[in-house]
Amino acid sequence: MLRDRIKTALAALSPLEITETDHAKKGYDLDVQVSPDQVPAAAEAIRQEEFFIEAVTGVDWFGEQAAIVAEAAKVKAAAAKKAAAAAAAAAEAGGEAVPPAPAPEAPAEEAELLPDVMEVVYDFSHYQENCRVVVRTRVPRDNPELPTISSIFQGANWHERETHDFFGIRFLGHPDLTPLLLPEDADFHPLLKDFKA
Amino acid sequence: MGGYFKEIFDGVHSLVTGMGVTLKYLFQPVVTEQYPYVAPTMPDRFRGHIELVGDEETGATKCIVCGMCQKACPSGCITVAGEKVEGVKGKVLTKYDLDFTKCSLCGICVESCKPGAITFSKEYNLAGLRKEAYIYDLKKRLEERKR
Amino acid sequence: MSEMACDKHKETFVLNMGPQHPATHGVLRVKLVMDGEYIVEAEPVLGYIHRMHEKMGENRTWAQFMPNMGRLDYLGALSYNHGYAAAVERAAGIAVPERAEYIRVMTVELNRISSHLLWMGAYLLDLGGFTPLLYAFDDREKILDMLERVTGSRLTYCYFRFGGLYNDVDDQFLAEAKGFVARLRSRLPMYHTLVTKNVILMQRLKGIGVIDADMCRRYGVTGPVARGSGLNYDVRKNEPYSVYPQFDFDVPVYTEGDSMARYMVRMDEIEQSLRIVEQAIDGLPDGPVMAEKVPKIVKPPKGDYYHAVEAARGSFGVRLVSNGTNTPYRMKLRSPTYSNLSLLAEVAKGVTVADAVAFMGSLDLVIPEIDR
Repeated sequence: MLRDRIKTALAALSPLEITETDHAKKGYDLDVQVSPDQVPAAAEAIRQEEFFIEAVTGVDWFGEQAAIVAEAAKVKAAAAKKAAAAAAAAAEAGGEAVPPAPAPEAPAEEAELLPDVMEVVYDFSHYQENCRVVVRTRVPRDNPELPTISSIFQGANWHERETHDFFGIRFLGHPDLTPLLLPEDADFHPLLKDFKA
Repeated sequence: MGGYFKEIFDGVHSLVTGMGVTLKYLFQPVVTEQYPYVAPTMPDRFRGHIELVGDEETGATKCIVCGMCQKACPSGCITVAGEKVEGVKGKVLTKYDLDFTKCSLCGICVESCKPGAITFSKEYNLAGLRKEAYIYDLKKRLEERKR
Repeated sequence: MSEMACDKHKETFVLNMGPQHPATHGVLRVKLVMDGEYIVEAEPVLGYIHRMHEKMGENRTWAQFMPNMGRLDYLGALSYNHGYAAAVERAAGIAVPERAEYIRVMTVELNRISSHLLWMGAYLLDLGGFTPLLYAFDDREKILDMLERVTGSRLTYCYFRFGGLYNDVDDQFLAEAKGFVARLRSRLPMYHTLVTKNVILMQRLKGIGVIDADMCRRYGVTGPVARGSGLNYDVRKNEPYSVYPQFDFDVPVYTEGDSMARYMVRMDEIEQSLRIVEQAIDGLPDGPVMAEKVPKIVKPPKGDYYHAVEAARGSFGVRLVSNGTNTPYRMKLRSPTYSNLSLLAEVAKGVTVADAVAFMGSLDLVIPEIDR
């Protein structure tokens, strides 16, 4: 089956993550997470199986890392509170007999705040079989660069230009990254989450 | 050589049969709506700009100033204001402005209105030279209609 | 592009087709480097009607974005309504009552017919034939009147809701639709006598703008353009959604890949859409047109979702990224003509301007949908 074939082909590239998804729930069959420099190889493997390119787009995960850190701190605080409450409850119930619970881990080792990322999402579909493949990769938000696939799928040319317009993601080796949908002198990227008109 | 003449014959034949179709149409009645002379009637569900609905008996507005339409509008073209009046339960409508220049006639406001205080008008003949002409004071329009 | 035009030894010149040109059907501009009457290079310049719908989506609630769908492809707005509603329903896990889906299919197919009729009229107008436009508009007007009675608008429909429809259809609509199916069926042979068999049309379309299957694949071409190149790809069949599997219809495929093939695909599609409408009217089940358990404020769970539908021009896809709130986090709208137009540069090389017009028209361009 096509889905298994493409899964094996992509797994051979040793991607970061490869998961089969439920088409009825998600709308696609295969979700592949690769590193930015693996994108052309993945696209080539997908082209070999005669997929066509549906779209290329970006997602700006601005503030995601801060949220992760905040969430981690919250979980930790909740755990500490729970432990303290349990200790107190135990102390109340058992009187002096129970030794006090060990103090929760020192709050010093806070989760590290990593730089934010942008995600580039490639959608592929097939003319004969019902199989959609999503390839995603993450590039740092302050220096978003990754190789182009416009020499593999010519249709990616415009999609990558559009992604550059909207997010400022640079596709290395792209023939022409001048604004396509935005005005030709545009120096802003409207789909960035910190963009204010 | 035979193919050449056949091509000419087929081509002329196709043109003549096509002309036959148009000729037939020449003697058929006109299907175009003669618009300025015959005004079209709008169907019940036609979505013109919104209008306040008056109560059948008193003619007063049904609006309870809940602000749901204002919140629901994707383009932010509705401004509703009300005030407390002694002896009346809830708020009393003081202002209902519609900025029709931004309205896309989607009808989400009418759907969101619980008391059924707004409806679509059947107006389609709108023309004006100034933007201000399309900022409607719906409360005033309702009062004018009452008279 | 500019290098070629600047070269003094080559007698080339730049010709701007558009942004105000009747044959570009809107505000598309094509920069052409010409060598006499032949095109050396063609470069579409987009963005004249770019409105950043994707950013708009991030600034309003899921339900408030629905009216925008009518502004993308204004000729096939209901397919876009369907695509967006289906995507959000998939994300939020809302089941749609069968009657609602039947009515959706019925109205979408009527909308498809009206879109194809308008395309046919406008395309033949590009090629110099004025009469077919008037006949096509006569038929299209009937559809617009029917849909206006049901949806409340004639062009920029906003009829579908998450979990169902704005309101139900009545018996008059069903009777009118049935009458229309019979009417258009009886008129299709007339169109073929008037247009399809016309020798001038054949001379201008046959062998012009040939696209092969491999080119389709490289550029991501879908819809009637792909089907005119021998690819049997229709989202309604390949990735069944809604109640389409319950209907019996064929996907017209032509292998020539030229403008004539694309013309024939669309003409045959009108017939197939009539079949679907007819079956939907006959099999329309009773019941509600709105799901019972639709939350007042839709909040799809975190994650990303994709849903594609077959619009009049090809596969329209919505990629949603939800962060669990009442506004979308990211909304990607994949419009079919954007991909379909991107191959213009490759196909237009070495053809005359008149043939380029015949080719561009056969792509069925709707510029607001390309620019979004």
